This record gives sequence, C-alpha cells and structure tokens, in this order.
Amino acid sequence: MEKISVPSSALPNPLREGLVEERIPEPATMVIFGASGDLARRKLLPALYSLTRDRLLPARFAVLGFGRHAQDDDAFREEMRRGCDEFARRRPVDAPLWAAFARNLFYQQGAYDDPAAFQRLKVRLEEIERTLGLPGNRVFYLSTPPSAFAPVIRSLGQADLAPKPAPGKPFARVIIEKPFGVDLETARALNRQVHEILDERQIYRIDHYLGKETVQNLLVFRFANGIFEPLWNNHFVDHVQITGSETVGVEGRGGYFEQAGSMRDMVQNHLLQVLSLAAMEPPVAFEADEVRDEKLKVLKALRHIPESEFEHQVVRAQYAAGSIAGRAVPGYRAEPAVNPQSTTETYVALKLFIDSWRWAGVPFYLRSGKRLPKRVTEIAIHFKEAPHLLFGQKKGQAIRPNVLSIRIQPDEGIALNFGSKMPGPAMEIAPVSMEFRYGSSFGFEPPEAYERLLLDCLLGDGTLFTRGDEVEASWSWVSRIHQHWAAETAAGKTTLPAYAAGSWGPEEADRMLAADGRAWRLP
Amino acid sequence: MTGDADSARANFERFARGEPIAVDVGEIERELGALWQAASHAGGGQTGAVSRAALWNLVIPARGREELATTKALVDAIAPAVPVRAIMLCLDDAAGSGELAATIESNVVSQPGGGRVVYSEEITLVGPTGAEAHFGAMVRALQVPGVRTATLWMDAAMPSTLLTRELLPVTRRLIVDTGTCAGPLHLQDLERLAARMRPRPVADLAWLRLASFRLLFAGLFDPPVGGGPLRSATRLAVRHRGGGEVSALLIVAWLGELLGWRPLRSVGTSDGGLRLDFDRPDGGSLEAFVIPSAGACDQSALLSIELASGSDEYVVSREAIDRARLQLPIAPARVVKLDAYSDADICVAALGPRGRDPLFARCLEYAGRLWALQPASIDPR
Repeated sequence: MEKISVPSSALPNPLREGLVEERIPEPATMVIFGASGDLARRKLLPALYSLTRDRLLPARFAVLGFGRHAQDDDAFREEMRRGCDEFARRRPVDAPLWAAFARNLFYQQGAYDDPAAFQRLKVRLEEIERTLGLPGNRVFYLSTPPSAFAPVIRSLGQADLAPKPAPGKPFARVIIEKPFGVDLETARALNRQVHEILDERQIYRIDHYLGKETVQNLLVFRFANGIFEPLWNNHFVDHVQITGSETVGVEGRGGYFEQAGSMRDMVQNHLLQVLSLAAMEPPVAFEADEVRDEKLKVLKALRHIPESEFEHQVVRAQYAAGSIAGRAVPGYRAEPAVNPQSTTETYVALKLFIDSWRWAGVPFYLRSGKRLPKRVTEIAIHFKEAPHLLFGQKKGQAIRPNVLSIRIQPDEGIALNFGSKMPGPAMEIAPVSMEFRYGSSFGFEPPEAYERLLLDCLLGDGTLFTRGDEVEASWSWVSRIHQHWAAETAAGKTTLPAYAAGSWGPEEADRMLAADGRAWRLP
Repeated sequence: MTGDADSARANFERFARGEPIAVDVGEIERELGALWQAASHAGGGQTGAVSRAALWNLVIPARGREELATTKALVDAIAPAVPVRAIMLCLDDAAGSGELAATIESNVVSQPGGGRVVYSEEITLVGPTGAEAHFGAMVRALQVPGVRTATLWMDAAMPSTLLTRELLPVTRRLIVDTGTCAGPLHLQDLERLAARMRPRPVADLAWLRLASFRLLFAGLFDPPVGGGPLRSATRLAVRHRGGGEVSALLIVAWLGELLGWRPLRSVGTSDGGLRLDFDRPDGGSLEAFVIPSAGACDQSALLSIELASGSDEYVVSREAIDRARLQLPIAPARVVKLDAYSDADICVAALGPRGRDPLFARCLEYAGRLWALQPASIDPR
C-alpha cells in the first residue's frame, strides 16, 4: 500500500486535549469590514479585548480593520483603545495586555465593491499571516450597511479570500450582521447571492440576542431539568408573553429606522428567535443543525394572521412626546431624519399562534417598542389556574396564576411566582417570587453576547447563529403583516395610534389582551 | 417583646459577636436563618430581597488559630464569586474548654447595579485534637441539603483519618494543593487518594495554577506548526523555582502522558535537578530535565518550558511575574501577559468545571510513576 506523507503542519495539536474547557480557537485573523463604524468601536473590539483578557483567544491572533475611512494602523489602534476604555467588560484596560493586543491590530482602507482594494487586502492579509506565523484561518465580519453585504461577499469570492471548507485547509467564515434582508424577497435574494460564494457552513448570521446567557440557559432550563418540560405545553400553559422594550428613541438613526420600524428592527429577528427557542421541541442533540432544525419548525408553524383578524391580533403605534427617566423627550415625528408625517411603527404588539400539538390554542403575545419606561427583554410563561380553587374565593382576594419569567436583559435570570399562605391565623394568600439571578448565584456578570458569539464563530460552532432557512421563514411570516400595512396605507386607512413616551404603549395593545381576559405583565 | 424574642435577640447578638457556643445543629440553622432575616431587613426596616445562595458545601479542615484565620480570609475572598456554605473544622488544643464549639458568620456582598446581594455562610467548629472523630457527623448534619460538598484539603499534616474516614464519604469533589506538598513523595499518596475518590474528581490547585503556562505552551503547536515537532522532540527542560519540583514534574507528566512517552530512568543532576529519559512512540528517545532555577515567579513556581525538536526550539519562559515570552521558529518572539491568580481565584476555578479535569488524574498517575523511578539516594525534601 502506498504511504501518504502527511506534512507536519497537518498533524493535530495533541496538547489541546484536556484544554477543551478553555474553548480556545486556532490562531486566526479577523477582518472587520466597517471597522471605522460604531459597532467595531463599541462592541467588536471591546469583545475581542475582553476575550484576550480572559485568555480565550489564542496568543497568535490578529485583527485587520477594513473601511472606507482613511487612517493608518496607529490611528485605528488609538480609536479602538478609546472604545475599549469606554465599553470593554473588563475595565480598566490593562496597559501591558493592550500593548500586546494592539500590536496585532491593523487597518486597511478600501471600498467594498472595489476588486483592487480586495486584492490589496489579500496581499496585506498574507503579509500579516506570514509575519505573525498565522495559519490562514480567517473570519470576515460584515459590520457594514446592509447594502454592502452582497458586494463584500462577491469581492471576497473574486479575490479567492473565502474558499469553501476542505479538510486540513484553513477556514474562512463570514459573520453577517442584521438586518438580513428587509422582506422575504430581499432575504431570499441575499441568500442566493451569498450562497454563490459561500457554503452555508461558512455563514454566521448574527443576532446578538442569541449570545445572551439567559437565552442559552433557556435551553438548559427546559431540557436539562426534568420538572419543567412536562408543563411546557397547552395542557398547563395559558399563554406566553414576550416583551422587548427599549427606553431609547431612534438615537440619531432616524433614517435607518424610518425604513425598518419595530417589526423589522426587533420582531423579525430578536423576538422571533427568542420565541422559537422558547417554543421548540427538544433537539436530538445540542448541535448547530439539530437546534436550528427545531427552531425552523416553530417558525414554519407560525399561523399567518388572517385578514379578518388583523385588528384583533396586530397593533402598531408610534411614540409621542413624553418623559423618560425624568427627562422630556420628543415624539418620533420630531426626531431628526424622520418624516413629520411618518407612518413607521415604533411599537408593535402581536397575538400569534403556533400550529403544533404542543401549542395548539395557546396565544403568544409579543410586544416591542421604543421609548417605553424600562429596557427589558423577557419571556413570561403564564400557567393555567389550578383546576379547583380551594382558596382565595373571598371578595377582593384573587389568586394569581403562576408565572415563570425568564429575564434576558438586564439582570439576566429566572423567577417563578406562586401563591403562598401568609403567616397568621387567616387563610390569606400572597404572591411570592422565587428568583435566580446570574449575578447573585454565580457571583459574576455573564460575558457580553458578542464575546460569546465571536468565540463560537472562531470555534466553528454555529448553534447560536441563524441559518438561511430560518431567516426566510421568519420573513415569510413578517412580510404578510407588512403587505397588509402597505395595503392599508394604499387605501388611506392607516391606523397608527400614538402612545406617550414613558408609557407601556397604546391602549389598543391593552385592549387586545383585555378582549381575551388577560393583561400585559409589568416586567 | 416576649421572653422568647428577648432570648432570640440575645442569641443573635452573641452569634453576631462570634462568641463560641455549645454545638447544637438545630440552633446553628436557626441562627443562620436569623442572620438572613436581619440582612433582609437591613437599612432602617426597608425590605430588600437577599438571596441565600449556596452552590457548594465547602468543608475546610485547619490546624490552629493562625491557619484558621488564613482559611477564613480565603473563604471571604471566594464568597463573592461562588456562594458556599463553608464548614471550617479546626483542631486547636489551645481552644480552652476542651469541648467542641461553633461560631457562625455571614458574607453579604452587594452586586454591581446595587441591591443584589449574595449571602454566604460560614460555620466554624473548633475542638482539641481528637475532635476530628466528631467532625464527620457534624458535617453531615450541617450540609445544605441537595447541594454538593467539596473538601478543601490544604494541610497535608492534618490527621489523614479525618479525610479518609469522616470526610471522603460525603465529598463530591476533593480539592488538594500539590504545591504545598512536602515533596513529590506525596504525589503517590495523593494518587492513592484519587483512586479512592474515583469517579468523583480530585482538583489540584497547583495543577490549576499551571493552566496559563500549559495553555501558552500548547498554543505554540497550533496550526500551522501542528503536532509534528512534539512527536519528534528530543529534549525538554522545565525550570522551576526552588520548592516547585512537583509542579515541574506535573508538566513533564502532562507532556509525557499526551505524547505517549515511556519513562525509562531518572538521574539526579549536579544542580539538584533531575534528568529523565524516555522512549518516544516512534522509537526515538528524549531527555527531560527538571531544573531548579532563580527568578521572579508566582505560586505556580514555574519559570519555563523549553522543547527542542531537531534544531527548532519552542519556549515559554517567564520574563516577570506577570509576563511570559513565547518563542517558536515561524514567528517573532512575543511577550504576553501572564495572569497571576490569587488562591481564591484558583479555588473558584477548582469548584467550577476546571476542577473536574480528567487529564489531571492521568497526569498525577504518570507523575507518580516518574517519581517511582527516582534513585533512593535523592531526598527531595
């Protein structure tokens, strides 16, 4: 038999055995497109620095920023240092560690659709890899305007910078920021363009909500504990509320938000992803495709809202002037770069159903809005009342049903509300809360979502990223609502109630639940 | 206020002052509850939710007041990161009455953002030599139900029966520190102990202190270098500060175990170190040197790992307490930060996933075999 000579570089590193807990990826270079933008300064570089600080990145690791803005390596390093000083989880920045980290930060100017710029990028990358002894593993982070996603990927393909995966070869992966399309058609088109160059295994569509510790804990909570999953169905669950509220307005992004609205900005991605994790069936394994297969089934099982039910199941609204944290704030239409006659929604509340055996008849209420009183994202599972009420039948004394609330941000944790007898001779029942908070029980704040997601991508773990078919399934559901709204607008029948900034949204949203004998939970 | 309430208040104040009491397990639990309630109502009657959290029962034997004080300081430092019910068992012939006595304390830690607190509890049992026979029953009675128990066995001079007879049966994780072993001879004792514990894990603080160095050294053989140079290695030198021989042997054992080196013989060297000869799996041979050296160092006692493969050298060497230099043929030398972990940090790691590293058990067994090769004339102490 012919012997095959394996070059030493192809031999695996045996010393990695036993260091699995450390989850340290292979040496690599991360190229950030849009490196002079806000996301790189506020999130990406601080996350990479914190990972370095926690020894979760390999000693041989480089970052090459790519952007339209002209600057040299030192200016880029200085800008990123300021970002880390302000935003890194691990602060203050450790000077010697930063010095070592910054030596491997580089910057290259170029346009996203300029083939020559990508050739220069390739030459620079190879030079960096040669100098630092890097093996050619590359992650390309598309922190650009969505309009640049396709041109960048096309340019990567033309420059042969992102070859398809092959055994024993360095990896090339691409992280794509949201939004991935603005409706079903554009998402499909983008998927097609991306797949012309990249294999699906190379694509990491990021939704930073999925990097949050509690979102991951939701799977552990459901599938690693024997007592909850038997209750997780329509026999015991009355309804589910998912809230994603923000106190901020458009924060200088009026132009973007005018095109997006809350439905595209929050519901299509974050809230539907959270919903799919909360409602999915147990996967056969905690592997990327197995988890994403189950999420996809939920998204495909979302019942499209019939035209006749729109007014009962969909509420959109826009914030008016009001007060947040003791400060007067303008209404949406008075924000910079916003059309004074805008019909873009800054709030949306939905009642939806999942057509599956598990969830038949259980309404899921979703709401998301800007300029609400509190920044919070949570899932609240409202259980049915006890079938026979022995207690609490006195006038004015009602027993509240049990609620399991899963707090995604801030104060990540889980709380269970239940009724308890108050001490004393009378049979008085009071609601009490049993709480688990990450900060209290584990004594440290969980890492930033971007840290987890960047690390997962470097390790080749796509579990917490969104697959192309998931994106299309969620757009398929959301686009019908947009089509309905477009038809309303065309017919001059737009209903867009206003809510005061600092309130919990319009009365119409309260009425939607009141019609079902329910009320929004105050998170 | 009723008489019972007065009595409870007096007891509470006595406990709060840390005065010893006759040991009554029920009373300890009641008074811990009172401390919890007091913390919840702290701040002028304003009710604040206080989590009474415990991820572990942590049992820590100590000898004498001085060691007990060190142990208490360690528990205080651990509490913010891992809430525990600490049960400290102190043998102290100078304790006075000759009876077993208990004190309780609590740690209330404010969390970032305000309001959130962690509440950890410390129960200290003090008794004269011989009291160790009662400690096992006390620990069993004082464990928080349903919470795992770890035993932190730091003092190798404690009566071993306390560990083997009383504590091992309730211990889900044993934490030791080979860095404080009197010498490598203890490695074999420890290996026997680990065999008794199996499949329950044994965590070693010294092994965990070596993690940063191991990570950096392992990183030298990531792509594009790969494992080739490791397979054809001809020489290994591990330099340690005086007293760090056990750590150095663990490093040799780590490499030997993972790379399949077969130990052949060991020879004492004139500088007080060791030379170990190995066969490689491919039939080649390798010499390893454990070399005592001078230099700034943290508690890991490790100064450098140097591996030669042909004419190439792969080195991680400590430049300062918090800096290491990485050297490999394909890239310029690079200085990186080396974390110096506190004992509390390491204990927290030992209570986490890193404390059940199956590789440690294999390396411990291998290190014991290395030591068994040792010429009897060399006394490591």
